Amino acid sequence: MADRITITLTLNGERRSFETAPGRRLLDLVRDDAGLVGAKEGCGAGECGACTVLLDGAPVASCLVLAASADGHEVVTVEGLGRAGALHPFQETLVTHGGVQCGFCTPGIAVTGAAVLARGGDAADHARLLAGNLCRCTGYAKVVEALDDAAAKEAADAPA
Amino acid sequence: MPRPDAEPRHRTRGSDPGPRTTDHGPLGGRHERPDARAKVAGSTRYVGDLSLPGMLHAGVAVAPIASARVLALDTAAARAVDGVEAVVTAAALPGANLVGVIFPDQPLLAADRVRMVGDRLALVAARTPEAAWRAARLVEATLEPLPAVHDPVAALVPGAPLVHDGGNLVRTFQVARGDAGRRSADVVVEALYHVGGQEHAYLEPQGCLAIPEGRSRITIIASCQCPFYVQQAVARVLGLPLAAVRVEQAPTGGGFGGKEDYPSEPAACAAVLAFATGRPVRFVLPRELDMQVSTKRHAMVVRHRWGADRNGRLRFAEVDAVLDAGAYVGISTVVAERANVSAIGPYDVPNVHVRTRIAYTNNLFGGAFRGFGAPQVTWAAEATIDRLARAVGLDPLEFRRRNLLDDHRRRICTGQLLRRPVLARECLDRAATLAGWDEFHARPRAADTATREGMGIALALYGCNLHHGGQRLDRSSAVVILQADGSVVVRVGLTEIGQGNLVACQTIAAQALGVDPTAVQVWQPDTTTVADSGPTVASRGAHASGMAILDAVRRLRTRLDPVAAELLGCRREQVELAAGRARVAGEPDRSVTIAQVAAELAARRIEAIATGWYRSRPRRFDAATGEGEPYEFYAVACHVARVAVDRDLGVVRVEEVSAAHDVGRVIHRDALEGQIQGGVVQGVGWGTTERLALDHGRLVNPSFTDYLIPTFADAPKVNIAIVESDGAGGPFGAKGVGEPALIPAAAAVRNAVVAALGVELDALPLVPPAIVAALGDAHPFAWVAEEEHEHVRSETVAPGR
Ligand code: FES
Ligand code: FES
Repeated sequence: MADRITITLTLNGERRSFETAPGRRLLDLVRDDAGLVGAKEGCGAGECGACTVLLDGAPVASCLVLAASADGHEVVTVEGLGRAGALHPFQETLVTHGGVQCGFCTPGIAVTGAAVLARGGDAADHARLLAGNLCRCTGYAKVVEALDDAAAKEAADAPA
Repeated sequence: MPRPDAEPRHRTRGSDPGPRTTDHGPLGGRHERPDARAKVAGSTRYVGDLSLPGMLHAGVAVAPIASARVLALDTAAARAVDGVEAVVTAAALPGANLVGVIFPDQPLLAADRVRMVGDRLALVAARTPEAAWRAARLVEATLEPLPAVHDPVAALVPGAPLVHDGGNLVRTFQVARGDAGRRSADVVVEALYHVGGQEHAYLEPQGCLAIPEGRSRITIIASCQCPFYVQQAVARVLGLPLAAVRVEQAPTGGGFGGKEDYPSEPAACAAVLAFATGRPVRFVLPRELDMQVSTKRHAMVVRHRWGADRNGRLRFAEVDAVLDAGAYVGISTVVAERANVSAIGPYDVPNVHVRTRIAYTNNLFGGAFRGFGAPQVTWAAEATIDRLARAVGLDPLEFRRRNLLDDHRRRICTGQLLRRPVLARECLDRAATLAGWDEFHARPRAADTATREGMGIALALYGCNLHHGGQRLDRSSAVVILQADGSVVVRVGLTEIGQGNLVACQTIAAQALGVDPTAVQVWQPDTTTVADSGPTVASRGAHASGMAILDAVRRLRTRLDPVAAELLGCRREQVELAAGRARVAGEPDRSVTIAQVAAELAARRIEAIATGWYRSRPRRFDAATGEGEPYEFYAVACHVARVAVDRDLGVVRVEEVSAAHDVGRVIHRDALEGQIQGGVVQGVGWGTTERLALDHGRLVNPSFTDYLIPTFADAPKVNIAIVESDGAGGPFGAKGVGEPALIPAAAAVRNAVVAALGVELDALPLVPPAIVAALGDAHPFAWVAEEEHEHVRSETVAPGR
């Protein structure tokens, strides 16, 4: 097996190449090679969701994804959620609804919530769709309120 | 805009946004938390996100069995791993081999004896985390197994294997008050409760970064609640004076008590490795190891004998509790102290005998955990109260109403008289109303379906701040600096761990200085900027730092007000600060901005920095009899839980918890609600699914797949009633809420499940096998579960309430 491999992907909208060890996890590539430390390692075992990133638009636990398998794909981290220097609408409502306490789960939740919003659908499903992300501080209520509010705002802004 | 003091005294959370930042200041409002934007953007730097040139990574080799003699340690294979820079064993420590907080019973590195799974044998520093952990696994320990004890009650029986030479009984606390009424009880309830421990499961694992400056001093950046504890531990193991150890708190990804005492240990390890290599060392625990070796909520065994008369008045309460300290005392004595005086809850009982013993075992050691011994004894007390209510034929609400402390009956367990107002009944009524207690019980409920519904209630009396025994630590320091542009720097010694201490301190400083909260920057604690402020525990963060901030502002104003008075052309006594301005009291049109005053102070080179100090009021307490004033003042909480229990599967679903809290005064409404919502859900998890499965002292479920904390999908709805009152002792009258938010939740759930099923449940958590076992013959698989849960006795109670 080669000592180093080259992985090329679109990271937060930018095409980037990394020389890295073949066994590396996507989480390590993002954090250590790209220096984007927003994604957190809460468990390293796919259980907590703190490391969630979007892979071709779908939320994945980056601690369980081989970096090599993202070669040629599109990855978005919490740092890339917002547009034009502004926070993503769900990041914004997390702030205004008080959905942030220690913040360690927050990047992962922001990423998953952004994917839920992009998919659209029924607000009644929000809690279930976020259930892959653990939070030990908030008791979840204000986070769900924040996602509901972001969805409502997005629906109101959508062209009729 | 409504002023907070013009609003009804008791307020409920509804769609009410709370007062906004205006003339009356931000107190009680919902302005944005200062740490929220960076956190949602992913730009907050936790310790695992920091790296420095030349930085090494730490690993640790730990004992896999709970009791053994260390015959030999071979580190040759570990040293040979590529990238390893140092391997340190007990023999190579520069200072004391000791990390115990209260008792000197815990070595940093085991030299000859292993007392629990996870005892550290050797430390490794390497260029990558992978190399460090690989090397740690290659440390070869020759261990001779010794007899072990894993049951705290058995540990106290003569002849039990000794965990430490001095015997397994660490300490006994008691309260003995009254006696004569004991025989006048008409009904007596006896029960034995086994209350399990809990893993903190903070989302950010333990971690720190040690940065040496030669061998003369060191900086530690740590995920922690108590930088001053870390400072002391590091100074001791390195043999340095306190002043040579600087501890900066990193943004901390949750604590719940788990980052009170424990972080001193990884910090001491990283510090030792940093001195051994002369390089920065980062130590972040992988999740599985973190769960395996860190402290836990204490498991307790609680025996009750309580009596009441036929009118439903409590006559006596006897409580005999044993707390499983695990292999080291850690802070168990302080936890037991709180458990001891919390044992009978907010009830008026004329005769009280409480004994709380601490036993060493070879289990994982207990530490601080939100509630600090009170949740365990509250769980037992509220179960017994429900039993007594049934025995005398009273509704659980009515039985409690007849016994709750109030403005006329104010004597708590220790004989201390509560300050007025005592809001227990208020909390009970508010929680019961929110929950729809009467409507729920008026509705017919099916008794023949697999799913049964139930509602249960529990209360807690919480002594705010530190117990009399910890009074020497109950002080706090603050620094307030008025910048030349009118913005304000605040430094405090107590930490933000998610609970909202930054926003609380910001609000208090802004309120006191009459500025907008966005003008105030509260920085994370650093032991070189403020004096030792004790630990961030006991729901004291906002209280102790807030009081110190108010003191600092008062001192700052002795220099600010005369300058403002000169600018305004008034007497200094007439200066008031509000809405970002200094103005003449009663003449709001005569004003200047705070920024103008600040610029004037700067121009005149007047000292624009002030320190503030807080210490709790001295109290009287007799440790021998347990009589006196263990705490300065108290908060009351009442939770009502509604559950649905699947009888066949034994699965408890907590649908809703209605929580009423006596908080004194709201400082920041979102942070307050967040504490209540989070505390309730954490308490529900403890009571239902969070089972610490120990096998010979080893945790066999150290993962989020096997140790189940509540998720988005199963967290109950939390309804909140906030009860405000005048006269509490904290800043602007606020009381702590972090722990009261958790304490009664599991007990309310337990009582709801008992009401749903009609059988008593005396072991926590209420995992499916425990429920199935308690159902006894009524369940087809009862025999399977009974074998596993021998302490779960089945005892049928009258159906309904
Ligand atoms: S770190 Fe990837 S799921 Fe927890
Ligand atoms: S905010 Fe702390 S884990 Fe979610």
